[in-house]
Amino acid sequence: MIKQTLLGLAVIIAPVLAFAHSKSEATTPANGATVTEVPELSMRFDDPMRIISVTLTSSDRDVEIERETGMDPATEFRALPLEELTPGSYRFDWRGMASDGHPMQGSFSFTVTE
Amino acid sequence: MTGLAPIDGLVVLAILAKAIGYGAALLAMGGVLFSVVFSQHAEASVIRLARKLAVGAALVGLAVLAIRFGIRAARISGMGIEGATDPMMLGFVWDSPLGTAAIWRGIGELAIVAILVPRIGQWIALAGSVAIAISFAQVGHALGEPRAALAVLLVLHLLAAAFWVGALIPLRRAALISDGAELLHHFGKLAAGGVAALVLAGTSLAWLLSGSTIALFGTAYGLALLVKVAIVAVLLGFAAWNKVRLVPALRAEKPGATHALRRSISMEMLAVVLILLATATITSVTTPPINL
Repeated sequence: MIKQTLLGLAVIIAPVLAFAHSKSEATTPANGATVTEVPELSMRFDDPMRIISVTLTSSDRDVEIERETGMDPATEFRALPLEELTPGSYRFDWRGMASDGHPMQGSFSFTVTE
Repeated sequence: MTGLAPIDGLVVLAILAKAIGYGAALLAMGGVLFSVVFSQHAEASVIRLARKLAVGAALVGLAVLAIRFGIRAARISGMGIEGATDPMMLGFVWDSPLGTAAIWRGIGELAIVAILVPRIGQWIALAGSVAIAISFAQVGHALGEPRAALAVLLVLHLLAAAFWVGALIPLRRAALISDGAELLHHFGKLAAGGVAALVLAGTSLAWLLSGSTIALFGTAYGLALLVKVAIVAVLLGFAAWNKVRLVPALRAEKPGATHALRRSISMEMLAVVLILLATATITSVTTPPINL
């Protein structure tokens, strides 16, 4: 009975289905970087990711950006700031869906100096 | 914490909906399995209860399926709850593996309602149970490699789990009936085989899906898994106690046996609820070590 119980334990933990994620591998600017100019914002994923919503904020103000990558799943995402980024700290937030259907979200931050 | 996704209000909602969806699916499948397997052994009222349970759970499952689509759309949209009804977002969800899984699960849950039809109905419902189990192999890790093996193991595993979970309420009723002890004893014998199927399918799945044992202690996934294992240990303890002590006591018509057994089955049901919540949490906010 004890043996059966132990085996049973090994079993019921097994069907914990989780989702194979595609993670953000590299961003431009890099997370935590200090840069003087930001010609573009980009992210690379190891598996196609459907990026649905993106925001760039600086001290609680939304900065306008234009996406170059559409809403189709892609391994590389690119967007351009529509204005020159003034010195300060910025945070880029994104939401989307991995190819396995799992909702994904992430962010990276950087600082712009003179 | 490694491998823990951000948790917000929508995620909490998604976890609750998923847990209810798991419970509904297991009860629907299990109610059908119970009524087919024990049609000759159980009293008519117990079989009727199992069938009602299956139909009720299937209908709840269908409603939850629709709600989960909305929650998923809201989560990916970044618009908050408004995204739940956005046609474009719903389209993205429909195109994802969740859409495929929803077709299998929806058809399966509809087919289970057929159990109300005499004779042929139970076979349609049985096919529906298999379809629901297959729906779970359309999402998540079951999509990895070796896909065929993972799918077969998962379907077997879910059917075995459903057989157990779906039997709890009918068995709790059977404990009140004069010859219910025989049914409970019979279930105990079959359940031993079911546990063997669970073990075989489960250990194989664990072996195929897991990375390393060490990772269990350093990741959110691993720690959540250990919590789940602890609850499962309690559940198996109750199940073993029922089989070894309480059912024999009921057969021997010992005083208080009925009450003790029914209370023990209620505790099993509570453990199942906690396990479903734990599983829904694990599959929603953590990443298994192998995929970090």
